[in-house]
Amino acid sequence: MQRFLSTNSTVTAPVSVDVPLLSNQDVIMNISLIKEYHENMSKKDASLFVMQGLQRLGIAHVAYKRNPALTSEERFRAMLLRAAMVKDALIVIDRPFKIISHLENAGFLFQSLSEIDDLFIHCHIFEYRWMKEKYGDLCL
Amino acid sequence: MSIKSVFDSGYLKLLRSCAKIEFLTDMGCSMEWIEKIGRSIGKAGKSFGGTLAFSGKVLARMLRRKTYSSATREVLVNQIYFTSVQILPAFLLVSILFSSLLVGIVFQVLKDFGLTEFFGHVLMGLIVTELSPIFAVLLITLRSASAINVEMAVMKSNRELKTLETFRIDLMNYLVVPRIINGMVSMVLLSSLFAIVLMASGVLFSGLIFDMSVDVYRNILLNSTSFSDIFIALVKCAIFGFFITLIPIRFGLRATSELTSVPVVVSGGMVNVFLAVLIIEVLSLLTKLL
Repeated sequence: MQRFLSTNSTVTAPVSVDVPLLSNQDVIMNISLIKEYHENMSKKDASLFVMQGLQRLGIAHVAYKRNPALTSEERFRAMLLRAAMVKDALIVIDRPFKIISHLENAGFLFQSLSEIDDLFIHCHIFEYRWMKEKYGDLCL
Repeated sequence: MSIKSVFDSGYLKLLRSCAKIEFLTDMGCSMEWIEKIGRSIGKAGKSFGGTLAFSGKVLARMLRRKTYSSATREVLVNQIYFTSVQILPAFLLVSILFSSLLVGIVFQVLKDFGLTEFFGHVLMGLIVTELSPIFAVLLITLRSASAINVEMAVMKSNRELKTLETFRIDLMNYLVVPRIINGMVSMVLLSSLFAIVLMASGVLFSGLIFDMSVDVYRNILLNSTSFSDIFIALVKCAIFGFFITLIPIRFGLRATSELTSVPVVVSGGMVNVFLAVLIIEVLSLLTKLL
């Protein structure tokens, strides 16, 4: 995965336990930071844009919470939305079951991705071979 | 050879070898000390050079227009709010108490020693331009510099800095520059505020102790004001602000992924901030003398 990230570094946007949310900022600031920094979008516009994304993912209520106060599902979705904020994003999800360990299958992941599918171009999921079962027929 | 002589010669041999060993140990000890001192000087020199090089990089970034993205501006505003605005009630309270006490004592001493004619120079030259920056630097260091040091170290330990790098957010632009500009702005503002509180309490105490009217007090202050001193004091405040935020950031960034490294870099950072404050104070006094 590291090799993949380094060869596609200009547009890759990882969702991984190794790339955590900033703990001294709330969720909305964590996500809007990407738009504010890369596109110089104003705080107001970026926050509005992010809030719409959070509403689509059904986690608008966590907008002003910080990382330690989130459940695994909320954290995953917040990290996914943050990755989708990268322009023409190539989202890379690194071992999603490490982020939400209690999931029985990948249904939640694909549902989350389908809710914001207009915000990214591609998504790659990197997973251990022995987790293949959890992905069912969706596995390549 | 009798038994005694064998014993004697053996004893002498032993004595000689002991002396020799002791001599060598002494030499070893002194060499070790010299090496230790050399290593410490080398380390301090390297650290000082590193801090200056880092300062150069930060200054270069501060002068670039591209640095100030919307995100950077937001961090800057937040930092100024945390450092200069949130502290205001406590700062004002402490300033009023401390300045009243200080001005009261100084005016009384001047009166007792018959040095009433120097009170304007003492108030402006010593209390306003020298003590105000020190007071502000102490408060900002204790409250904000330590917080910045811990914040950086914890972010490094939690791999949050790696997160920023992964999303191609420049650490210097997003974390370092706004905090340092905030340090400079806050130092100038809080030091000026302390000076204003001090001069206001001077009105009260000059009336009580010297029976002086407000107009006379104002004239004395204006006559004893040296604008070069005020300029030096403001520049000194900005330099204080620059270094009391830069050093904690630099030390915070030295933390490793282990949480145990956090207290080590924080204590190192704070000791170095104290040394920097001393060095800047001495340099500013030398500037005044020259």
